[in-house]
Amino acid sequence: MRRALRQVVAILLLAILPAIAAGLWHPRRPAWQSDEVTLAVASAWVPDVVWVDARPDADFARAHIPGAVPLNEDRWNDLLPALLDQWEAGSGKSPRKIVVYCSSLSCQTSHDVARRLREEAGMPNVFVLQGGWEAWRREHP
Amino acid sequence: MNCLVQRILAAAVGLIFLVSGLIKAMNPAAFAIDIQNYRLLPWTWGVLLALYLPWVEILCAGALLLRIAYRGALAIAAVLLGTFIIAYGSTRPRGLDIACGCFGHGVHRGYWPLLIGDALLLGLVLWLIQRDLAPLAPVIRNTVAD
Repeated sequence: MRRALRQVVAILLLAILPAIAAGLWHPRRPAWQSDEVTLAVASAWVPDVVWVDARPDADFARAHIPGAVPLNEDRWNDLLPALLDQWEAGSGKSPRKIVVYCSSLSCQTSHDVARRLREEAGMPNVFVLQGGWEAWRREHP
Repeated sequence: MNCLVQRILAAAVGLIFLVSGLIKAMNPAAFAIDIQNYRLLPWTWGVLLALYLPWVEILCAGALLLRIAYRGALAIAAVLLGTFIIAYGSTRPRGLDIACGCFGHGVHRGYWPLLIGDALLLGLVLWLIQRDLAPLAPVIRNTVAD
């Protein structure tokens, strides 16, 4: 039994080394601060916020947050200019916040779009709406 | 024969952990989001787990496949599976419909199939532990009797 315990400790300790390395150098390491915001927080930013709908075109056409700009990875290059126009048309004092949403809590596309906006478009203040479109629908049935 | 079956099943468990661990280790950012979706831990703890857990799984898998630190690896596998079953089991009563994050982000196998699958896997791991400890039973009995 004592040997098993030693083995458990050895495995758990050994795993710390690659975990530290991943935290320092992994190209897809997570940020230490969450990029998610609740609907209440994001709504308080209006009008200095641009809503970005990362769902497929058909879902966007059916319904979306008023004023939202569609931007999905299928038509990234076609849709990005419209977002940039809307973003630059803000108040001008400080860059407007961007809040990306997809369908629900478990969808990944909003995080992917937010990451690309930060990394490829160099946009600051990009956030993901917690709960996505479902959260919005709950508050605005 | 029994021993061969044990070895094959242990290797199968090892392979499952290896694939699961490698997928998560390749994208810890996505795994951190999966952990966040459970709404059980603050983000920072989720980040730490996302960086650490995949490597525990990979090392466990290596230990099971190579039969090095075998008993310890089985114990960790049982605890990981038990913890996961409790965590994922709690999602539906809390009104969450999320991907489990077991084999990469966004893979949604359904609530009950996933829980049943993991319960079976946990049962297998517990059986392997019991088989591994079986030869020690007489020794333990004698020690207790003395």
